[in-house]
Amino acid sequence: MAKTKWLFPYNSRFIGIVLILIHIPIKLLWDAHYPKGYDYHDLPDTGGVLFSPPHLFFIGTTLMVLVGLFLIAFSKEKIEDEQIIQLRLDSLRWAIYLNYAILLFSLVFTGGGDSKHILMLNIWLPLLFFILRFQWVMYRLNRSAKSNDSETRL
Amino acid sequence: MKNNIRVERAIKNITQAELAGQVGVSRQTINTIESNKYVPSTLLALKIARVFGKPVEEIFQLENSDL
Repeated sequence: MAKTKWLFPYNSRFIGIVLILIHIPIKLLWDAHYPKGYDYHDLPDTGGVLFSPPHLFFIGTTLMVLVGLFLIAFSKEKIEDEQIIQLRLDSLRWAIYLNYAILLFSLVFTGGGDSKHILMLNIWLPLLFFILRFQWVMYRLNRSAKSNDSETRL
Repeated sequence: MKNNIRVERAIKNITQAELAGQVGVSRQTINTIESNKYVPSTLLALKIARVFGKPVEEIFQLENSDL
């Protein structure tokens, strides 16, 4: 009955979690190997090479995290229904509002390199806000259903 | 909007989970409808009414606050 277009199967959330978890040791190893850090976006016009190893690494790890977050955020629930679709949309709107409020605030009060970091955080921050909010709403829904059970026992 | 799903369920002697299964939603959704926290779509309301074999107005009624 419920329209569930553009959602991944339920189990894809676990692939997402695995992707994010295996990205952590890879990133740590890389950072240990390049302790001084480097500029990911050292592009040709600034004298760098476009597909330099650090940039390829950046693309690879960013893809892993993003695909992981997408799979977690947009996988179906075990039983999808109209209420869950509505809660998902509410959470998405909430996440966008929050993200833009923080983004605008931080861009107004920062400059230079900090602004760049904020924009980079914004690659995945809206998805994270959405996941946290949606999981919280689903948790509350399940909890209220359970407490109602113990009251009525019907 | 109020409803008497809980009463109708008791008459028919089915649980929330059984009703949820028959209309294709989660048990939580039946629960929030029963406790007036969620207003179902027309489609879902009609399906629930069909399970109880009654017209939808006998299961769901408008309240003064809806008018």
